[in-house]
Amino acid sequence: MSEKRFDPKLIGEFLNFSRHLAEAPMKVSVPHEVEIGSTQFDVVYKEDKMRMLHFKPLTEKQVRTPLLISYAIINRYHIFDIDPKKSWVKNLLEQGFDLYLIDWGTPSKIDKFLGFDEYVNRYLDNCVDFIRNESGVEKVSIQGYCTGGTLATVYAALHPEKVKNLIVTAPVIDGWKDTTVVSNIAKYFDADKLVDTIGNMPPEFIYYCFSILKPFEQGVEKYIKFLNNVDNEKFVDSFLKIEKWLDETPPIPGELFRQWIKGIYQDNLLIQNKMYVGNKHVSLDNLDMPVFTQVAVGDHLVSPECSMPLHYAISSTDKILKLYPTGHVGMIASSFSQKTVLPELGQWLKERS
Amino acid sequence: METGANTDYYKKTAMFWSDMIAMMSSKPTTLSAVGPLRNLSSNLKKITNELTEANKEIVEFNNFLIEYYKQLADTWTGAQKEVSSKVTKVPQNEEGAEAYKRVWIDIFENNFTGLFDSKKFSENYNKLVSTELDLLKRWNTITDVMLKSANLPTKQEIEEIYEELHNLKIRITKLESSKKKD
Repeated sequence: MSEKRFDPKLIGEFLNFSRHLAEAPMKVSVPHEVEIGSTQFDVVYKEDKMRMLHFKPLTEKQVRTPLLISYAIINRYHIFDIDPKKSWVKNLLEQGFDLYLIDWGTPSKIDKFLGFDEYVNRYLDNCVDFIRNESGVEKVSIQGYCTGGTLATVYAALHPEKVKNLIVTAPVIDGWKDTTVVSNIAKYFDADKLVDTIGNMPPEFIYYCFSILKPFEQGVEKYIKFLNNVDNEKFVDSFLKIEKWLDETPPIPGELFRQWIKGIYQDNLLIQNKMYVGNKHVSLDNLDMPVFTQVAVGDHLVSPECSMPLHYAISSTDKILKLYPTGHVGMIASSFSQKTVLPELGQWLKERS
Repeated sequence: METGANTDYYKKTAMFWSDMIAMMSSKPTTLSAVGPLRNLSSNLKKITNELTEANKEIVEFNNFLIEYYKQLADTWTGAQKEVSSKVTKVPQNEEGAEAYKRVWIDIFENNFTGLFDSKKFSENYNKLVSTELDLLKRWNTITDVMLKSANLPTKQEIEEIYEELHNLKIRITKLESSKKKD
């Protein structure tokens, strides 16, 4: 009978992993105690649960046209400023932009009737008007990320006279072309029943959707990697911040969720120019301002096929579509975004501001 | 008797007796009970009805849940078989362990993403959620009956207040903006 021999290195690896597992609670902070967001801001405008943040400038001279970021309706805005070295916000401030950001807040049961109309024609429009008054400019630049990109697109189509430049980062545009697991669930989802029974879309359901996106890489491998790196302070810090951010998903207002699932994913109204918000027709032909569409090739939340059609559907003659070899979050919070995405965006925006 | 016929039989029996009891006890109840208890007895029929209907949905929910776990289990088994067929010659050393982990994760990721991307998964999953929501609706109705008996605002009444507040906010916003324009 042959004797089985294990590589001593392999046994060493195993023992090391067990040691990390045992020592992790002593070495690592409690995830919920981790502080995220480091750039200073003032809350300059509030309406219901929504707040608009104005970041303190980091340069003496600033670009004339202010930039407003419309964050997504899933998770919180902190990902834009999660780590000083990977901060989208800090980078733009260092490039001299006058930066505002919308935090949609955490909707409660009373907010279940809020839909596209309130988000676009009230909250977003009031934020834009506030900035126009404060800065004395006619138009502002708007950047929308993920579902915030869709809101920004709808806003720019309904209020083009107030938008100087539009930047959309991984926006949800063509629901039928989306090839992600999220769209597969959304296709057959009975949004009416959920909203009529529960009210708001509960965060637990959003966590479920996240958990089936990359169940083994995100659900297994990243934790093994984390345990193998408990001695690496930088790695642990970054890991815990991202985990905390992922864990803080607010509910989505029921009406907005219903309109989203039915209008964007099931009936695909936006790209077909059939969408109405607050009784107003949303025509992508109205997007005649400079438009920068940023798409991540490895995006598993909003597939490139879902975002890219915007570039071809608008009337603007000054438009650019950029595909980046990264993922949904990598496009806004990574070393890659600092080195490539943000410098390109900054240059493009400065030339038009 | 088939399951459907069974359910109908039990439903009819339950409804018959709850009606009979309500009729038989209505006079003494009216005389003796004041306040919430009287409401509760008259609403007992609604609760019985909801519970009987919920039985059918519990069976459906269980079927979809079984199918959900079956899909997961089948995919797991398929992926594991694929892994086993590919890693027979991986050496048992540090590099081999790393290679095994990579192969395992890649194959499981591919197989499960394939499942979550499929029509059969989405259809079953959404039916599962839908039945769960049906059950929740029944529970909400029962809760509303209880709240009504206790003379408290029901969920539906609270919803109406929320809607009223929402509409008021819209009206105020419109008034404010027209005032600004003036």
